[in-house]
Formats: sequence, C-alpha cells, structure tokens
Amino acid sequence: MFNARVLAIVKRELREKLISKSFILMTILFPLLLFGMAGIQALIFTDKSNDKVDIVSDTETLTNSFQNELMKSDLMKDGKTSFAFFTMDRSALKSFLDGKKKDLLGNKLTGVVYIPSSALKDKKIEYYSQTPSNISLSRKLEGPLNKVLIDIYFGNKSLTPEELDFARKGIDVTGFKVSKEENIKEEGYGSLILSYVFTFLLYISLLLTGQLMLQSVIEEKSSKIVEVILSSVSPRELMTGKIIGSALTALIQMSIWLAAIITVTSSAIYALPPEVMVSITTTQVVFLMVNFAVGLVLFLSLFGMMGAIFDNPQDAQSGMWPVMILIIAPFLIAMSMMQNPNSPIANAFALVPFTSVMVMPVKMTLVEVPVWQLFACVVLNIAAIFLVFPIAGKIYRVGILRTGKKPKWSEVVKWLKYKY
Amino acid sequence: MYALEVKDLTKRFNSLVAVDHASFEVPEGSIFGLIGRNGAGKTTTIRMMMNIYLPDEGDVVLRGVKIGQEFKNQVGYLPEERGLYKKMKVLETLLYFAELKGKSGKEVQKNAEKYLKRFDLFDRRLSKVEDLSKGNQQKMQFISTILHDPEFIILDEPFSGLDPVNTNLLKDIILEMKQRGKIIIFSTHLMDFAEKMCDHIVMIDHGKIILKGSLAGIKSKYGQRNVSLTHAGDISFLKDNPIVEKIEDFGNSTGIKVKEANQTQQLLKLLVDRGVPIKKFDANEISLHEIFIELAGREDGNGKEVRNV
Repeated sequence: MFNARVLAIVKRELREKLISKSFILMTILFPLLLFGMAGIQALIFTDKSNDKVDIVSDTETLTNSFQNELMKSDLMKDGKTSFAFFTMDRSALKSFLDGKKKDLLGNKLTGVVYIPSSALKDKKIEYYSQTPSNISLSRKLEGPLNKVLIDIYFGNKSLTPEELDFARKGIDVTGFKVSKEENIKEEGYGSLILSYVFTFLLYISLLLTGQLMLQSVIEEKSSKIVEVILSSVSPRELMTGKIIGSALTALIQMSIWLAAIITVTSSAIYALPPEVMVSITTTQVVFLMVNFAVGLVLFLSLFGMMGAIFDNPQDAQSGMWPVMILIIAPFLIAMSMMQNPNSPIANAFALVPFTSVMVMPVKMTLVEVPVWQLFACVVLNIAAIFLVFPIAGKIYRVGILRTGKKPKWSEVVKWLKYKY
Repeated sequence: MYALEVKDLTKRFNSLVAVDHASFEVPEGSIFGLIGRNGAGKTTTIRMMMNIYLPDEGDVVLRGVKIGQEFKNQVGYLPEERGLYKKMKVLETLLYFAELKGKSGKEVQKNAEKYLKRFDLFDRRLSKVEDLSKGNQQKMQFISTILHDPEFIILDEPFSGLDPVNTNLLKDIILEMKQRGKIIIFSTHLMDFAEKMCDHIVMIDHGKIILKGSLAGIKSKYGQRNVSLTHAGDISFLKDNPIVEKIEDFGNSTGIKVKEANQTQQLLKLLVDRGVPIKKFDANEISLHEIFIELAGREDGNGKEVRNV
C-alpha cells in the first residue's frame, strides 16, 4: 500500500498544506491567542501599574505599625506599590481628601486607606479611590493591615506567637483530585480548563483538516487533474497519499499547539494563580496524539469520500451533514461531560469509534481512565478504519471520475456494487 | 508481434453498455488511431486500457502480460479533459508528474528544463500554473505526458481545443516519438488527423468495433469501388446511371461509388464523353471520412446526418 508513488503524493500534500495561508494562520494564531489570554489573565492577577497608596490613621502608634508592616510586605518588595503615611483625625481627613482629589482623578494616586482607631474593635476601614471596586489591590492590603490590627488587639493579651499566627490566618480551601494513583494531587480548575482546551483543539483541527481534504478532492475532481494522476497511480494510492498528507499536517499543527500550551502552563513567565494552574501529563499528550492520528485517518476517509461524491463545494456543504454530525456530536458530548464526567453516556461515547477521538482525551483530563479503556478506544478506532476505508475507497474510486448532476444517496450505495 | 492486445473489453454503466466486447491489437512502433463519434466509447476504452476503469469483462494485455502498474509507469497519458494544479509552479508540477511515474532526480530535472526551453516556457518555470495562458498550460501538459520518456503515449482527443500552433507542436511530438520507436495511441473524431497520421486504426461505434486494420489496407479495401472526383460542371446525369451506386458531395470533391470494382474506368469514360471538365479523378481512393460516414453515419439505417464529425 505504501510505496514511492504514495510518498510522492504525501510530499506534495505536505508542501501544499504546510505553506498554505490558512495553515500558517491557524497554527500561529492559536498559540498567540493562548499566550495572549494567559498574559492578560496574568496581568490582571499581578496588577498592572505602579500603585501609590496613602495610608491614613488617627494615631501615631497605628501609623507606625502599619508603616513597619507594609514596608516589609511583599507589596513593597516587588517595587510596584509605594506608600505614604499620614496621621490625622477624621475631621482633617475631609480636607486632606479634597486636597488629594486632583491626584486621585489624575491617576497619580491610586487610593487613600483610612484606618480609624475604631478598627481595633470592628475591623472597619475605609478605602477612597477612583476605582474602589478594584479588589486586587485591597485584597493585597488586607493581609498586612489585618495582621497589624490583630497584633495590636492581641498584643495586650497573653497569647503565644502560635496562637497569634492561627488568629491571623484566613480560611484556604484547596481541591484535591482523587485518583487511583497513590498520591492525591492538589487540583484547581486546571483540569476543567484543560478539558475545554482539548475539546476545542480537537474540534477545530478535525473541522479544519476535514474541510481542506474535502476542498482538495473536489479541486482535483473538478479541475480534471485526477484523470492524469490516475494514469500513474491507483485511486487507492491517491486516497491513501492524501489522507496521510492531511493527517500529518494536522498532527504537526496539533503538536505545535500542544507545545505552546505546555510552554505556557509550565513556564514561569506567566505567574498563573495556583487554582487555574493546568497540569498536562505525558500520558495525556501521547494518548491524544495517537488516538488523534487514528481518528484522522478515520475521518479523512469520510471527507475524501464526500469530496469524490460531489462536484462542487456548494453541493458538498449541503451533503456533508452526516459527517458533520460525527464531529459536532462528540463536541457536545465532551462539553456536557465537563458537568458530569462519569455519566454512562459519556463513558459509552468515550469508546465508540469516531466520537471517542474527541470524548476520550477530554474524559482523561477530568477523571482517571483505566489503561485498558485507552487501548480499547484506539483499537476500536483502528477496527473502524478497516471497516470504513474499503467502503470509502470504493465510493471514492467511482465518484472521483463522475461528473454531472449531484448523485442521490441511493445511487452512491449502488456504486458499492460496481466493479471499478 | 503486438505491443498491446485488447481482448473482449466490456464496460457497462448501469443499463448502458459503453464498450461492448471490443477487441483489437496495437502493433509495435505504430501510430494507432481509435476513431469514432463523440460518445462512441473511445474514452471508456482508453480508461480501461489505462487501468483507470476496471473492465466488466475482458483484458488488456501488454506483450503477453496483463496490464498493471508496470504498464502505467510506461505510459504517458493525455486525457481529453486536461487539468493541472493551479497553485503549483510549472517546473514543480512537471517534476511531480514524473515522480508519480517513478522518475525523479537530476536527469528528469534536466529533461524538464530542456523541454521547457524548447517550448518557450523556461522563463515561466517558477510561475504558478494559474498565471499561464491556456495555450501554455497545454504545452505544459504535453511536456508532462512525455517527460518520463514513456514507451507508450496515449492521447485522448489530443487535438480538441488546441490552437493551430499547439496543434502543430503536438503533431511534431507525435512524429518524433514515432521515430524514436514509441507506440502512440490516440483517439479522435477528426478523421483528417487520423488519416494523415495513423498507421493503424480501429473504428468504434456504439461501443462496438466496426472496423480495424492498417489504414492502407482499409482504404484499398473500401477504395476499390470508390472514386474521388474533382470537377467542374454538372454531373447530375450520373444519378440515374446503372453503374453508379451512390454519389456523395463533399464540397471540394465528390465521392462516387460504383457497383462493381471494375467499373471505375467505365465511369471515367462516361464523364469524358459527356465533356465534364475533370480536374482530378482518383480511383481506388477513399477518405477515412467517407468510410466513417458509410459505416457509422446512419443512425438506425435511415441515413441520418452524423453530427460532430
């Protein structure tokens, strides 16, 4: 089946596809989008600009305590926030704020924090700013300020430093992913994000690669070039070459995408908060690629067949729905699986050929999948190839030299009986 | 010894029998014409010879062996409906087609450049195919047909849609290939070309072979009772003459068929006696066109005109 002629076809397909605008655009655009989104997210979380905050309290003691604490806090260390400290009572604050109004509106001053002595009883402090709802800054201030208040409050009482530490701490909920592995892993939204990413990548790639295959077959058919090629190679060799070429293109693209994701998630450039940290295992990547490779052959056989049936892209688009369902259905199943990864439907479709190309890798990101199921998934898809490829090949062989009006499905079925 | 034997080839498309038990032989070193009207079954026959269609019945035999990939590698094929990848470059396309035939490397590249120079396309070798004129695309297609130096050249309606310059170019290629001992098979509905170029022909009509053999043999067989006459004046008196079976006006010449082979001299005497100015009297001469009309020109036997001939 694989020979020098098929190789020549594969090489041509690769040359044509890898330098095509749509391939380059999609391949680069996606990581850019990803890097960009991660970057924006990181920016939002890390706070963009140099903040200048005035800390005001009504007693010298408080002001000094805040100054000591804030000066050694993380906020000061990264050099992005600077503080000025003032002591005044509430009546003076009003005129102070009036004086600062210009700076506040002109973005020269981010905000003014007023901590009255009463805060030592009710922990109520005030924050004056053009954007008081910017919680990222106030959240960061919260810790040190709270610490000072707690220290002063409990300082008079006889407490051990451990007791003080406990009092200072807030509640921190951490999610853990329970799996058969010995170590129970800490887990945030990471796996959910990963499942979204996998679903979209597989969906987009299948659609894109399929469309390109369809167009390419239709072009060869409608431009009559196919007859010249068939004078040198058999239809089966041509179809095989085209499928391998397209599949390799898609795999290269997918590798670039995955590499980009792995770079983003594992690099220190983007300080993503731990709860959205994505972790990808080697098993996940390897399985995704292997299963995707098999799935591509399966899907591309169908796309090639469809291209051979139709004469022009318009007819093909309207006649494509059976194949499109095979791509859209697993997409929807994968999306719904994120709500309930262990639903029986999701489990079934993670093994059914065609749908498993998308559903199984997504399932893997959400729950622990037994290894036998991974193998079964690939084996079933390969088995499906052996079933689908001869039929698709036959229809391709008959259809590729046909021109004229759009055939009915009943006619296409008849082609299977032809001796070609 | 025959280079290629077509044995009992049959192809059906649903109820239509496109080729009906066709058998013929292509001798070594010849230009072989497959002639017939549009839709007679020429392209289907050729596609089966190329192994593009599998025949329902029958075989194509290459020097004693049933054809397969081996044959495909030895053939240069120019289909009736020609196509190229529009986005590919000229030289790239030629090399790709050669590679599909199992030929690659420096030698092919050199040959490709040689042909491109000869056909005035060398400057365009890095252009995209879609930027070439139709005439230049046809030239490219010729080059791709012969670049891998095939043993057989099969051309399906090669002259349709060619401008006069390219028509001559193709004729030159065909004759040159013949001189180099290649076997050329072409189909055509243009009797003129077939008559000028072919050594052997088969005539196909409604999927059936109705005539085959060497052109000279066929012409002498059909020519014995035929006279090609170029004249001035009126010859309508011949219509009622007992020795004349049929008169057909071809415009420049008139084809006259006598009832017996030995009556052609009688016919000449008749014309001279009546004082008809004779410019050319060619006994034992019949054009392929006339043979074709005689054999295939009658639909259901009531003398309907043949279109597209």
